[in-house]
Amino acid sequence: MTLNLNNFPPATIPDHAEALRSDVKAFIAEQLAGVPPHIRARTWSGFDANFSRAMARRGWIGLTVPVEYGGAGLDAFARFVLVEELLAAGAPVAAHWIGDRQSAPLLLHYGTEAQRRDLLPRICNGELFFCIGMSEPNSGSDLASVRTRAERVAGGWLLNGQKIWTTYAHKSHYMIALVRTSGTSDDRQKGLSQFLIDLSLPGITVRPIMIGTGDTDFNEVFFEDVLLPDDALVGTEGNGWAQVNAELAFERSGPERIYSSLVLLDLWARLLGDTPDPLDAGRLGRFVARLAPLREMSVAMTALLAKGEHPITEAALFKDMGTEIEQQIPVEIADAVAQRLDGPHDPELLQTLAYLMQLNHVFSLRGGTREILRGMIARGLGLR
Amino acid sequence: MSDDTDTALLVEGFRRQLAALVTPAVIREIEDGASPQSLWASLDETGFVDAMLPESLDGAGLDLAQAFPLVLAAGEHAVPLPFAETMVARAMLAQHNVLVPAGAAIVLAGRSALIPCAGVAGHALLDRDGQLVLVACSAAGSDLFRTRSATGIHVGETLATPAASDDGVLLASAAVAAALMAGAMTRVMEMTLSHASDRQQFGRPLGKFQAIQQQLAVLAEQVLSAQVAARTAFAGRGFDATRVAAAKCRANEAATSVCNIAHAIHGAIGATAEFDLQLYTRRIKQWQLAFGSESYWAERLGRARIAARADTTADFLRLHLATGSA
Ligand SMILES: Cc1cc2nc3c(=O)[nH]c(=O)nc-3n(C[C@H](O)[C@H](O)[C@H](O)COP(=O)(O)OP(=O)(O)OC[C@H]3O[C@@H](n4cnc5c(N)ncnc54)[C@H](O)[C@@H]3O)c2cc1C
Repeated sequence: MTLNLNNFPPATIPDHAEALRSDVKAFIAEQLAGVPPHIRARTWSGFDANFSRAMARRGWIGLTVPVEYGGAGLDAFARFVLVEELLAAGAPVAAHWIGDRQSAPLLLHYGTEAQRRDLLPRICNGELFFCIGMSEPNSGSDLASVRTRAERVAGGWLLNGQKIWTTYAHKSHYMIALVRTSGTSDDRQKGLSQFLIDLSLPGITVRPIMIGTGDTDFNEVFFEDVLLPDDALVGTEGNGWAQVNAELAFERSGPERIYSSLVLLDLWARLLGDTPDPLDAGRLGRFVARLAPLREMSVAMTALLAKGEHPITEAALFKDMGTEIEQQIPVEIADAVAQRLDGPHDPELLQTLAYLMQLNHVFSLRGGTREILRGMIARGLGLR
Repeated sequence: MSDDTDTALLVEGFRRQLAALVTPAVIREIEDGASPQSLWASLDETGFVDAMLPESLDGAGLDLAQAFPLVLAAGEHAVPLPFAETMVARAMLAQHNVLVPAGAAIVLAGRSALIPCAGVAGHALLDRDGQLVLVACSAAGSDLFRTRSATGIHVGETLATPAASDDGVLLASAAVAAALMAGAMTRVMEMTLSHASDRQQFGRPLGKFQAIQQQLAVLAEQVLSAQVAARTAFAGRGFDATRVAAAKCRANEAATSVCNIAHAIHGAIGATAEFDLQLYTRRIKQWQLAFGSESYWAERLGRARIAARADTTADFLRLHLATGSA
């Protein structure tokens, strides 16, 4: 068996990283003063370029990017502390989120020196926002079947195709996309490459898609004979699949996979007062009990990532469990609230709850669905 | 004992001895009423019962975190005697300079619907009137799971009252139970994985069916999170109510899906007395009923969350439930 407690060696956040925490708390308290919980509940879906720029001024975007590329040169633990505080408070981090979490590490690892010099400093100072171009209309879970194509032409690459569900493409400067550079979708993982796409280029159309809540966070993105320069290729031609997979450990191992409903949980907990009835105390306790080992796992994976390892199966396991709790928190709080027909029902609690009740079903979709993650775990267990 | 590799070697040695001593046949004999004496004597002889005593008392000086893998291993092997309980009880008593009668098997008898292993132990550690108490005891009531447990104990002579204790024994009982459960669930996972690759239906091993793979993934998730939660309960210098609450709550919740999935994947054969799976799942269910259910611990944990007045639940997790905060 290849999955056991050794996959999550006990890890502790070192003091130098913890030292950051009080500054971050003070910054958030100042920035988010007066922002009500139903807005904070958007957390990493909340887009606020001004907030991101304020973070950049503190040097908190690209925390793990080396100083020579404009970053803070700190380690993954420092980023964990920063991100944990931002998410727990419900800070609107979406603008810089993708660039900070995965595009910058990707460029650092696979990018050319010129790409690093050009892009990383601008990610770190809050100038450039990124989005992820993986999904297509006919390629969701079956990501290797993508059809968007880049063909070599004189002076660069000619890009044609379509991406979809691209979060904040309409407010981003760049997309990092997985596209086919050779063969057909029957070739699966072979022949895929990653490209850095400047979204202001001619031939690109971004069309927002509204969801049931009325929000328009994600988009369709169309590419029609878009001429990409030579240096738009990220990493090695044909190595896109491996590169994307390396990104996924970053995408699935962080506290954003357990804290998406935390603002609601904490608002509800506060309203319980000092002497909650046994049923409510029990509901709260169960969430704490489920969250506690998951936070431990996230810290353990942070230590592994810091050592250059790729805990991909571990991250799948963590994300599948974490998003289940994130989904369950609004469900059980709704149960608790509506158990009392005559209230009192705090209006802010109701609004925050309603927002998350309408959104929680996507928590297990974004970043890979349950069935796909469980398939990865099964592979880790030697079943596939 | 401080060196990690030394501890790993020690644990490896212990596992080898358990595999040799505690075979399914031996477990069944004891369940059927055989005297525990010879197995207990062999376990005692391994010296591991004293592993947590200081080196000055001929122990190995293991702290809780170092002893945790021994408790897991005891759970994995379904040791039918109170090995882990005695190891922890001896350490608790030694802290107050109480030395235990040689060869005594001690159960941790925190408040509970049943006391595992009470039918094969002559001593118990209790919380009584605010005191930590060591007593002689014998089983009372029924053995509900055929594990030599008992629904109560006859309390005999008081042997020591070394310290104040409000619910220290309950915490130790629940922490040890959570770790034993995590260990037993590990074995259940191994057995289920190997059954899924051996058993064929529709011309393929069960493990090749996606529906089965998905269930096994859930099984692994539940086992891993119960293990991590139990490990956290063993991270500090002593058993802390908040960590123990999270560990026992998580172990109990995980146990339900682990047992259901494991038995579902085994089919009818898994329910039979002849097949080993039930040796482990029967114990897991016994521990679910012992030393507080998930609701009991969840309520305590919820109250602790509120009493802590943490700004956010993330703060509470970090300050009270992280390995590093022990
Ligand atoms: C809020 C949100 C934000 C997103 N942001 C982005 C983004 O920024 N960039 C981006 O590229 N994508 C993004 N996505 C897309 C996301 O990655 C996909 O939704 C996801 O990969 C699933 O693809 P799909 O929606 O096409 O569903 P499908 O792949 O059609 O799956 C539908 C259902 O079938 C199941 N299924 C599929 N294949 C199998 C199989 N082999 N076995 C068993 N079950 C199977 C799935 O688990 C799922 O339950 C976002 C999605 C959401 C909801």
